[in-house]
Amino acid sequence: MIDPSMVPSLDPNPLPAPYWVFKLLLVVTFTLHMMAMNLMLGGAALALLARWRKGNAYGNRIFLDVAKKVPSLMAATISLGIAPLLFVQVLYGQYFYTSSILLAWPWFLVIVFVIAAYYGFYFVAYRGEHRPLAAGRAMLFSTTLVLLVGFIYTNNITLGLVPTRWAQKYSNSASGWHLNLTEPTLFPRYLHFMISAVAVGGLLLVLMAWAKWKQEREYALALFQFGGKAFMYANMAQIVIGMAFLMSLPREERMLFMGDSPLASALLGIGLVGAFAIIFLMSAALRKEDIRLAGLGVTSITAVVIATMCVMRDMVRDAYLEPYLKAQPYTVQTQWSPLLLFLGVFVAGVALWAVMLWRYGFFTKAGAAGK
Amino acid sequence: MNYPVWDVAFGAGLLMALVAGLHVFVSHFAVGGGLFLVLTEIKARRGQDHQLLNWLKAHTKFFVLTTVVFGAVSGVGIWFTIGLISPTATSDLIHIYVWGWAIEWVFFFLEITAALLYLNGWEKLEPRLHQWYGWIYFITAYASLVVINGIITFMLTPGHWIENHQFWTGFFNPTYWPSLAFRSCICLALAGIYALITASVQKDAALKARIVRWAALWTVPCLAMLPVFGRWYISRIPKDLWANARGAMPTGTMFAGLACMLLGVTLLLALLALAWPRRLHLAFALVVALVAFGAMDSFEFVREAVRKPYVIENYLYANSLYAGPVAGDGGFTVDKVSDAGVLKAARWVNNRELNLGNQVAAGREIFRVECSSCHTPDSYRGIHQFLVRREWDQDTIKGMIGGLYLMHNGVMPPFAGTDAERGALAAYLATLQTAHPAVGGVVDGKTVYEHDCAMCHALRADDHLFSNMPRDPKAAVDALKDLPSMFPVMPDLKLSEGERAALVQWVNTVRPAAAQPALPPPAAAPSKGGN
Repeated sequence: MIDPSMVPSLDPNPLPAPYWVFKLLLVVTFTLHMMAMNLMLGGAALALLARWRKGNAYGNRIFLDVAKKVPSLMAATISLGIAPLLFVQVLYGQYFYTSSILLAWPWFLVIVFVIAAYYGFYFVAYRGEHRPLAAGRAMLFSTTLVLLVGFIYTNNITLGLVPTRWAQKYSNSASGWHLNLTEPTLFPRYLHFMISAVAVGGLLLVLMAWAKWKQEREYALALFQFGGKAFMYANMAQIVIGMAFLMSLPREERMLFMGDSPLASALLGIGLVGAFAIIFLMSAALRKEDIRLAGLGVTSITAVVIATMCVMRDMVRDAYLEPYLKAQPYTVQTQWSPLLLFLGVFVAGVALWAVMLWRYGFFTKAGAAGK
Repeated sequence: MNYPVWDVAFGAGLLMALVAGLHVFVSHFAVGGGLFLVLTEIKARRGQDHQLLNWLKAHTKFFVLTTVVFGAVSGVGIWFTIGLISPTATSDLIHIYVWGWAIEWVFFFLEITAALLYLNGWEKLEPRLHQWYGWIYFITAYASLVVINGIITFMLTPGHWIENHQFWTGFFNPTYWPSLAFRSCICLALAGIYALITASVQKDAALKARIVRWAALWTVPCLAMLPVFGRWYISRIPKDLWANARGAMPTGTMFAGLACMLLGVTLLLALLALAWPRRLHLAFALVVALVAFGAMDSFEFVREAVRKPYVIENYLYANSLYAGPVAGDGGFTVDKVSDAGVLKAARWVNNRELNLGNQVAAGREIFRVECSSCHTPDSYRGIHQFLVRREWDQDTIKGMIGGLYLMHNGVMPPFAGTDAERGALAAYLATLQTAHPAVGGVVDGKTVYEHDCAMCHALRADDHLFSNMPRDPKAAVDALKDLPSMFPVMPDLKLSEGERAALVQWVNTVRPAAAQPALPPPAAAPSKGGN
């Protein structure tokens, strides 16, 4: 029989830099990926909602304006997703490849779904005005596909955390159709990520309102109200779902955040306080029609909350895998010149990226409004 | 063996070929097309050719929708797919080249940003600034190729990396520069070929003709240069590997021929388009693209085929066994698995012990872990089809598995496992056999050769069968009675006297009359590294 306590061994090639370098890169790039994904998926979902909502004079305009931003946000999501995909394979390859193989077909379908969703989003962005009915359907189609992609991801990531479940699944069938549906954390975890997208999608609308605040106050207010409220309600739901997620974790992992680990507990505290603070601040901003408070204040705190959540997510993973990680220590042999070259290219790349956006006019009011 | 094996009924290799084949055809366009956009813009603005400029705007949209969406996501698709099909190789390549991948990611990110700004900036930016984005796009896209080329060529010719494991040694490996030149040519040629597609739907015949002539300037010289760089490329590939594309391996040879032929046809079609540029039809442009796609993918197939049986030449076999002992190999080398037994060494098998009742079930599991990275039971590279052609029975199969590494110029890895496990694999494979030799029919020597000898003994004067077989028919017929006594890896075929006599007679008719100088006996099983 297949040994249920077994995980694949590390390959013979050592880590080409210290562990913490990859850990840092993984968490930072994953956080950026999450932010882009939230904006893209949340934007698409709220665009649909805006169109369906009755009694809003600007519903269709919001739909079209947000839809124009979604393809670029999709590009950002994918581009920023490649880096964590790389670094997770550097540090957690044995778990990641194995779980991926167990759900190989759904995992492969992610690529098909992403391509189809991406073309759907482009269709809406380019043809939305002229073909409203088809655009609505395309938006629904693409958003549904992205939601499915998220579900497949959640299945793969959670399955990668429980090696004891692999042998049984693989013995039953090697054809790659195993989801991880019996996992208690699956649905709370999935909802936690998807609802966060709706919240951050609300922020996208708030930022769009900010860009139009001076020229078109009435429309900007409609955007602000819609986005701000979506943000608030989603965050309220998020507190409940987040708690459900925490409760669904195995005792050991849960207790990390309830005193066993001071750092994890502090992060949960920051996350919770942050979640309440952004709801409160957004409510105040909406009441006072203070777009700056929403666009700058709430956005900044939300970014901190997202980063906190991503670090917590990483701690949960390491807690799950602790016995296996301990049994297979990495060897490290730093490749200095490629590492330095990467750092040089990375710094230069970020600088060039900023210059590209700046020259395009993203950082000037006129430029932002023109987009 | 370290990882579970995904059972894809129609063949995991086919799925990989599909994803990679589509991706490379778009990704090379993504590089060459970038330079095409910016140079065409400069040309159009200098000549104040507003029609050309308007076409270029539409072409940019086509370019972005093709490369940024399909090209980029299918590139991620390759990662997904190789992780599913060859997790060990993927893990190796990630750990050896993570900084290469990471550098490539930075270029990719810049490339995508620049492409979107170039597309959206047509109406918004002044020309020089717009072209600046175009240049950034092209330079970063080309830089991506510069990086990935190092990793792809490393897999074929790792060179001295095998000894020193240094990043740059493997990166700037023997085929790095010829491959870069070759692929650069493909990129530029494809820029012109894709331009034909959007040009063909232009209503203004004069504009269409201008675009076709301009596109031909990219396509024709680059296609003509490909054989030159191709020769350089081939000259840097070890001769015994290249022999796979020169007759030693049927698939490699077929694709090499196909690549050359389709390249010629692509060039011819491009010249035809140039001859009647005003009449270019969309269907014709699509045919040019399709033929070019065939040529390019045939080239990629050849590159993969000559590397067989390795994923990383001389380091890792396609079935995820290391060619020789490496520190930290986890016991996954041919020697160690042969010592321990594959059913003990492999992590993801259920039949740990062999007994009379589980031969076929265990054999199926051995097939899955050792063979299914390239073969299916009866679909892509199907064993069923192979066995039916040769009419082997279970004993013959078992004998043949012992010499896998000698077949078709060493295109397969050696079997790793105990003798009993070899028997179990043969028992399973025999269930795929549906053909049975006719009893009492006329025996034809050529058929005997093709069924039982041709896999390892190529029809060449210097092959052992043709050079060393005794000239005296009777002695030869006697010698063929006991094949393992001649060379231990030979299968114990038990040919009938009639078959042996027919084979000897046929060999004597096809081999040169004069005796060839005897060759040294072949090397023993390549348990330390194959061919």
